[in-house]
Order: sequence, then structure tokens, then C-alpha cells
Amino acid sequence: MWEVNVLEKTIYIRMRNRVQSKPDEKVLLKDVAQIIAPEAVLSNLKSMMVHQLTQTDRNIVIIDVMKVINMITTRFGELEIQTIGPAQTIIEVTFKKKGVSIPFFLLIWFLLFFGSAMAIMNFHDDVSMRSVQEKIYTIITGKKEAKPLLFQIPYSLGLGLGMILFFNHVFKKRLNEEPSPLEVEMFNYQMDLDNYVIIHENKESMKKTNDDD
Amino acid sequence: MTTIKILAVSFFGFASGLAVGSGFVAFLTVLGIIPRLTQLTKTMKMIQQYEWAVVFGALTGVFASLRDPVLHISPILLIPLGIIGGVFVGMLAAALTEVLNVLPILAKRIRLDGEIVILIMAIVLGKIFGSIFQWLYFVHH
Repeated sequence: MWEVNVLEKTIYIRMRNRVQSKPDEKVLLKDVAQIIAPEAVLSNLKSMMVHQLTQTDRNIVIIDVMKVINMITTRFGELEIQTIGPAQTIIEVTFKKKGVSIPFFLLIWFLLFFGSAMAIMNFHDDVSMRSVQEKIYTIITGKKEAKPLLFQIPYSLGLGLGMILFFNHVFKKRLNEEPSPLEVEMFNYQMDLDNYVIIHENKESMKKTNDDD
Repeated sequence: MTTIKILAVSFFGFASGLAVGSGFVAFLTVLGIIPRLTQLTKTMKMIQQYEWAVVFGALTGVFASLRDPVLHISPILLIPLGIIGGVFVGMLAAALTEVLNVLPILAKRIRLDGEIVILIMAIVLGKIFGSIFQWLYFVHH
């Protein structure tokens, strides 16, 4: 009987990793966490406000699970709360959604385009690609050729193909659906950023020992 | 005296070969091209064969560059050879770009994280353009 009683009163909370929210919005508990709770308190819990976004919040707010537990216990009294998963939620305040600016985008695109063109030419020069290719031509055919285009044009096209293969974007559906190294890299970068803001924007985890208030 | 000279020269040759060979393999390993290829083709079990392919390829290259053999075959063979060599260098270049971790940061800055393929295509087309431009025009001026 006692065990059943305890189980009925247990609330399970799992904070979400990252939530997007509009400015000046009320952030409810159901927005920042998944909840399993007894029917009696569930709807009240879900609609409990955990944070009111204001202009002073800027674009990142961290909701720590300790704050949430504190709120629940002051409002609903002694309930058993079990937390699972991440210890905090990052609220990303999305102001008016800015689109990609076209001139800026074109600038970057041509920067990358001509940058790569320059880089590959410097690389070829650096490793004496030309003389190696002339040598390969002579090995295969026995003739000397100052312009071994028969080798060089396929080489140039293969160069592009190799990059596409490495990033696996074009043949994604055909080869396999695993994430490409770049997608993993993007994800890692985002995780690093998240980790940074979790520690630096969360006042609780940065408290100094003599900071008593 | 000559025996010592021969021994010393072969020892230095062997030592420098060892250094260059291990450096080459270390370079390939850091860039992770072979794992990427096995992942694409799902042939992880054959990885040992791939290692041997690299070793034999390097040895063939050594032979070709030191002994100047001549095969007298049709020049058509150069086309697949060119494509294969290009794909390999392309993968090297792509792996280097990835190691430098430029693209994720750049894509996030201009809020293009969803369409990163456009940035990749800029680099890919740039490489093809640069390469063709070099062989058709640049080297002869």
C-alpha cells in the first residue's frame, strides 16, 4: 500500500536540450520539459510558468532543473521528483526571424569559390603536379607531351567528385543515410556552443564561494 | 671501405624511407579517408586489404618515379587514371577543409546551417575551375 502511494506521488521530469521561444513569451513547464506525473497534478504542472521572458533576457536563457524543482515544491508541496536526462534547458529567444542576406551570401560564395581555386593551384604548383603528370603520360604511352590533357581533364573532374564523395551530399540517398562528416561537425560545434552557454549563462553554476546573496 | 660505404648508404636510405613511409601513413590516418570510404561502401571488413592497397600503391609510385619505366599502352588508360587520382586528391582536400573546421562556423555566421551544401558546392566548383584553368591556360603563360 505504501509503495503504491509513493509511486503515485512521483513526478518524472526530463528537461529538453534546446527550446526556441518568442520574446516576451511566458515559458511554461511543458515547453521546457517532458513530464510524467499523477493525473491530479499533471495539467497544473504542465501549465506552470517557469520563466517570463523580458527584454533584459537577451537571446539565451538557461532554466536549471534545480529552479524547476524548487518551484514545484513551493507550489505543490512535498512531492517526489525524479529528474532524468539533461540538468538544464537552453531557451533560445528568436527575435524576428532574419533571412539570409543575399549580398553577404554571394560574397561568401565567391570567396570560397575563388579561394578554393587559388588554393588548389598553389597546391599543384607546390607538389610539382605538372611534371608528375607529364611523367605518367610518358610512362603509359612512351611519348613526351607538354599538355597531357587526356590525364588532366579527368583529374580535374575527379577532384570535384572526390570532395562530393567525402561530404556525401549528392549520393546520400543512394549510398547510405548516415550523417556526413560535415553534419557531425556541425552538430559537435552546436554542442560545444551549448556547453559553453550552459556554464557561462547559468548564474547558479558560476557562483563564487564568497557570493552569499 | 667500400663495404662500409655501401652499408652506410643503404642504412640511410632505409631510415629515410621508413620516416617518409610512416609519415605518409600517419597523414592518411589523420585525415581519415580510408575509414570514410569503408563507411560509404560498407566494407569495414576489408580494411586490411585497403592498407595493403595503399602500401603497394606507394611502392608502385616509388618504382615509377625512380626507374622511369615505359609501358607503351594506349593513352585512353590515362582517363580512368586521371579520374581516380583526382578523386583521391579531392578527398584529401575535402578532409583538410573538414579538419580545419571552417565550414560549420562560416555557415552559422551567415545563418545558412540548413543549406550548407551550397557552400560545399562553391568549394567543389572552385576546385574544378582552378584545376582546369591551371592545366588549360595558367601553366603555359
